[in-house]
Amino acid sequence: MSDTSTADTEMPSGKTAQKRRDPLALIVRFQSLIGLVVVVIGGIIFSPRRHGQILFIAPDNIANIVRAVSETGIIAIGMTFVIITAGIDLSVGALLGLASVVTATMMINGGVGLVPTILAVLLAGVVFGAVQGSISTRFRLEPFIVTLAGLQAARGLALVVSGNEYINISYGDGPGLAPPVFAILGERLFNNVVPVATIVFIAFAAIATVVLNTTRFGRYVFAIGGNERAARLSGVPVSAVKITVYAITGFAAALAGIVHAGQFNFGSANDGAGYELTAIAAVVIGGTSLFGGAGSMVGTVAGTIMLGALANVLQLNNITPALQLLATAAIIILAAVLQSLVRRREGLVR
Amino acid sequence: MTSPLLTMNGVVKRFGGVHALRGVDFELRVGEIHALLGENGAGKSTLMNILSGVHAPDEGTITIDGAPVHFANPREAQAAGIATIFQELDLVPGLDVAANLFLGRELVKPGGFLDVARMREEARTRLTAIELDIDVERPVGELSIGHRQVVAIVKALSYASRVLIMDEPTAALTVSEVDRLFTIMRKLSATGVGIIYISHRLEEVPQVADRVTVMRDGRVAGTTAPDAPQAELVSLLVGRPLEDLYPKRTRTAGRRLLHLKDARFHPARASAGWQVPQNVSLDVHEGEIVGLAGVMGAGRTELLSALYGTGLAGRWAGTVEVDDRPVRLESIRAARRAGVALVTDDRRGSGLMLRTAVGRNLVMSVLRRISPRGFMSIAREAAAVARSFGQFDIRPRNAAMPVGALSGGNQQKVVLAKEILGNPRLLLLDEPTRGVDVGAKAEIYARLRDLASQGLGILVASSEMPELIGLCDRIVVLREGRNVAEFERGVDEHTVLAAATGKAS
Repeated sequence: MSDTSTADTEMPSGKTAQKRRDPLALIVRFQSLIGLVVVVIGGIIFSPRRHGQILFIAPDNIANIVRAVSETGIIAIGMTFVIITAGIDLSVGALLGLASVVTATMMINGGVGLVPTILAVLLAGVVFGAVQGSISTRFRLEPFIVTLAGLQAARGLALVVSGNEYINISYGDGPGLAPPVFAILGERLFNNVVPVATIVFIAFAAIATVVLNTTRFGRYVFAIGGNERAARLSGVPVSAVKITVYAITGFAAALAGIVHAGQFNFGSANDGAGYELTAIAAVVIGGTSLFGGAGSMVGTVAGTIMLGALANVLQLNNITPALQLLATAAIIILAAVLQSLVRRREGLVR
Repeated sequence: MTSPLLTMNGVVKRFGGVHALRGVDFELRVGEIHALLGENGAGKSTLMNILSGVHAPDEGTITIDGAPVHFANPREAQAAGIATIFQELDLVPGLDVAANLFLGRELVKPGGFLDVARMREEARTRLTAIELDIDVERPVGELSIGHRQVVAIVKALSYASRVLIMDEPTAALTVSEVDRLFTIMRKLSATGVGIIYISHRLEEVPQVADRVTVMRDGRVAGTTAPDAPQAELVSLLVGRPLEDLYPKRTRTAGRRLLHLKDARFHPARASAGWQVPQNVSLDVHEGEIVGLAGVMGAGRTELLSALYGTGLAGRWAGTVEVDDRPVRLESIRAARRAGVALVTDDRRGSGLMLRTAVGRNLVMSVLRRISPRGFMSIAREAAAVARSFGQFDIRPRNAAMPVGALSGGNQQKVVLAKEILGNPRLLLLDEPTRGVDVGAKAEIYARLRDLASQGLGILVASSEMPELIGLCDRIVVLREGRNVAEFERGVDEHTVLAAATGKAS
């Protein structure tokens, strides 16, 4: 009975049977890690050098890469839950903008303290997401449509709150000033090496990994994406879980918005545009299926960092942003094609 | 009738280390309906895939009209006149019948515009040729499954006219639709088309086939006349005499679990084609297997789903009691709390996460129990999975395999095991052996009887009359949502059918 006791605990993707036999499935399972390694090697080879030092792997540059991806990374972590349920959340980029604006406005114009501000913004993000999830489940609307509307609503609210102006955050004691400790989000710790924004990202990712892989809630998420009807019939509280995953993306977007405000010292209604698509790209490159039911947090983290490293190495070589976009496009297609090949190999898709 | 249309000699096929076909000889005559039986994994599908050009054989020859043929791909097989109709019909639901028939080979007017009028006219001609009156301008999605099947056949025949391979065409059809399909098959065969008819339903074979070939373990186990006794076919199929497909009853009924008296379901909104349960009175006791008989549309599935709070939203009126206490079985939560579980007739659509590992599917209904304080307990999960494997003999014994890669019979065992893990007291079962081979059927019947002898009450709906008669302690007959008759074990098929159709016997 030894072969029946492996309850597939660390293989959320359901591709376990192929892990010994099918090299293609192995590649897909670790595609984002493999991709990351490839990009890093390529980065080292093609990196410009100064005084014999490889700029790409200079500590400053690496810190830059992981700092630059931290906001989309936080969003991608939340998005992974949603996508595993076969949903999507397009509102997160706009919600980041709204959160940054509200954070700045509350502290600077409202004179609210740092901790109450952060808690209020995070709670607002949760509520915003939960409302979208509720509308989607209650009226059986596609999350694509509901969160597209949510995108417009968040952007509109942000414009109203900010009056379409940058809300600069100045630091100090007293009303109209933010506590200096908030600026830590733009700094680095541990001998000035590790960006604080990255620490927030990785900590959030770690918690999300535990939730997804070891909790009942995580299993519910996989079950809904695997077969929503079957999950419902088996007693899974489908609507509650769906509302929760959108609350999680709302929380993630709000968290990213706070980090954004702290890093750049302002709130801006138009920031975060397109972040939702970068996050979705990172999730897909990370091996999570847009059809739902399969995916991994580690993959999402690797996919996020890979996209950032790729952009960085292209920048170092002064390659135009236009070509960077094309490179990203090629990688997304490659990841999707690999997944599709495995699905066909499994024989479950004709 | 006698000249061979198609012969396959010594066909061998290996997939990696798996010997799928070990030298198969098969012959199809002009105008013959040749039934091909075999359990899942016996090699039927591989043989038919070779015939339709999906796979190339490793050894052996195929001849058509005495001339050897080699198919590199399905298109070459089609060009040689071989058409296959799969269970999942290759039709576009949103397009009308005529558009489906000409899909990919549309008739056009000069300038490249669709010649819709001519396609519709042509479609009408083809359908009337088999005396079928279908509106060719209706979307295929609005047709009954039986009519869709016929459209698929006509479509297949329009590009391949010698050999027709039909893979379980009757699996989703009503009795009258099956009759009509058989009539059409006979008409086709009379025009010289050879039909290979794959089915799990032994009782259909004598109705339509001219010859029967049974496959087992990649070989032909035997070819016989269609009127061979069912026992002989079964023993060919499973390789041993199957004394009794149905287990003996081992325990008398205990206390009453489910009690319906004049139970009527009031849906919040009416829905066409959903037969509302009305004035149903029936009991299910501990240890008892009660069958629900009735023609298609009599409301069997609707009764089961309404008792589980799924299907249409609505509320029950009349007496609905579990353990002699009134319960409102109007939501899945309420039903599960009352100890009721449901296994639907659609394991792929509403039972399983096909791409997910068997183990993860098994524990889906007991996640709460195996995750104390919200965290999954690996030990409890492994124990639950091991219990299911032990109880239902799921093959292969690999909890990490995607469940979609299992045979139909083993998938059905997984769905059953999943609900049994939740320790229900009353199991509602809809078509428990649809698309399941004979060997697995016998296993499932035996398990159901075991479970009943441990005190489980089972209410099972089935369109297969022999199954109900063999398996159940009592049979309740539904007609138009009402129970119209009830029979004890030992009733004959004719009597039940007469009650189901409302015709005096």
